[in-house]
Amino acid sequence: MGLAFPSHEWIKAYKDAINNNPEYRTGSADWTYGVVALIIKAQLPGLPQDTGIWLDLERGVCRDAKLVTAEEAMKAPFCITGEYARWKQVLKKELEPIKGMMQGKLRLKGDLPTIVRQVKAAEELVNSAGTIDTRFFDE
Amino acid sequence: MDYPDDLSFLFTSPTRIVFGRGSSSDTGVELQGLGCRKALIVTDRFLHEKTDIVARVEKSLGSACAGIFCDVPPDSGVHVINAGADFGRERGADAIVSVGGGSVMDTGKGIALLLREGGSLLDYQGFQVLTRRQTPHICVPTTAGTGSEVTYFAVIKDHEKKRKLIFGDHHIIPDIAILDPALTVALPPILTAATGMDAFSHGLEALSSAQREPISDALGLHAVRLISRALPIAVSNGNDLAARGQMLIAATLAGAAFSNAQVGLIHAIAHVIGARHGVHHGTANSIAMPHVMRFNNDTVAGRYRLVAEAMGVDLRGCSDEAAGLQAAAAVRDFGCRVGLPSSFREVGVPEDDLAACAEAAMSDGAIVYNARPITDPADVLTVMKAAWAGIE
Repeated sequence: MGLAFPSHEWIKAYKDAINNNPEYRTGSADWTYGVVALIIKAQLPGLPQDTGIWLDLERGVCRDAKLVTAEEAMKAPFCITGEYARWKQVLKKELEPIKGMMQGKLRLKGDLPTIVRQVKAAEELVNSAGTIDTRFFDE
Repeated sequence: MDYPDDLSFLFTSPTRIVFGRGSSSDTGVELQGLGCRKALIVTDRFLHEKTDIVARVEKSLGSACAGIFCDVPPDSGVHVINAGADFGRERGADAIVSVGGGSVMDTGKGIALLLREGGSLLDYQGFQVLTRRQTPHICVPTTAGTGSEVTYFAVIKDHEKKRKLIFGDHHIIPDIAILDPALTVALPPILTAATGMDAFSHGLEALSSAQREPISDALGLHAVRLISRALPIAVSNGNDLAARGQMLIAATLAGAAFSNAQVGLIHAIAHVIGARHGVHHGTANSIAMPHVMRFNNDTVAGRYRLVAEAMGVDLRGCSDEAAGLQAAAAVRDFGCRVGLPSSFREVGVPEDDLAACAEAAMSDGAIVYNARPITDPADVLTVMKAAWAGIE
């Protein structure tokens, strides 16, 4: 039985996965731009309200990761929003997050040029998530 | 055509297109069709004071004209949009009619956003951040190039930081584009050429982007075909309404193509060269195009073959690789034929800034979609050096 996405347990495992990924550490060594928050839009049954994942990233390290409200998540300098199904596609590597933003499948609040420079880091964040045994509530 | 078995894409192009000589006189009727009562005309000072184009649109709107905001400069800025929105709000505008080129239409998109959402444009930096349709927007282009009348982008200069901000959101795609060839006849040859090559580059990059798909292919390829025929005529005889009309259609086709398939390194370079050195966007695209094509040729030679065929190049006996190189040569010759420079050196870009330009281009959203993946600014610098010298 995998860890439910999103949940406190999943996010704890995600933080560990990021910090155990040497490719992420190398690929995002110049990330000094603050927190990246992910907002998963509500979907019933299973996710009754919009939910945020707060990732405090600094120079290749995830210093903190926690479940937050969507309102809290919106305070992050970079906030990426998507439907539950879209995040599933990201986690299953069916959707590249930066391309997803430009196609309108995900929404980015924040400075696009800064994100564009982090293609490798974004890939490795996804790869890190891919190492977690994840359970989706709609499967 | 090399489509993968698992092809998957989104295509969005909701703009109503109104085409025809004199069609700008339909602006008032189209506004009514949108259910709006008061439209702010957004334009530039030259068009307002030195031509009768704005007056024609104003006449069509009649009492539905809320006022004219004519302070849009060639590279519009955040402060211009904030001022335009304040003006529109004061006049009670419930719609925008942009009359002009890319800078005017992008300003119109920004004003439409602020009239609906409030605040400052910088509050909406990002991609796809909006959640609802914006203030209704009619575009009446007076150049045939940018395609902004159908795209989801607005490129706005941050004058303080000397960079171009790209806003992308499906909710800012204009509702209506009115393509009136008569409005473009006064465009001087050099601007006709530069804006036309901008449209050409949209078609070409959409065809070869990492996100290419069949619908944008069809639009981009036909745009290349039309421009190859019509642009030299429009440059040499600006009064040729048939050529002007085909150029307007081509620019709109190419705009819809790249608004979906995206653009690549050509635009990443042109955005930086424009922001840092004031080179006209279309001219910068025209200069960069053949050099980026050579850089990408190993990856998308078959695509460039289509471009060469659309341009009428004889490719009998050519491999795709050879055809791709011929396409690059044909594009370079085409730019020269319509009177544009072929090197960044000619337009005053200092050689010692190329490295900084290459570094800045790595942060441009367009680079994500380049046909050949780019992760090293040294690759961009190699292309830019060739484009600076104009060497093949």
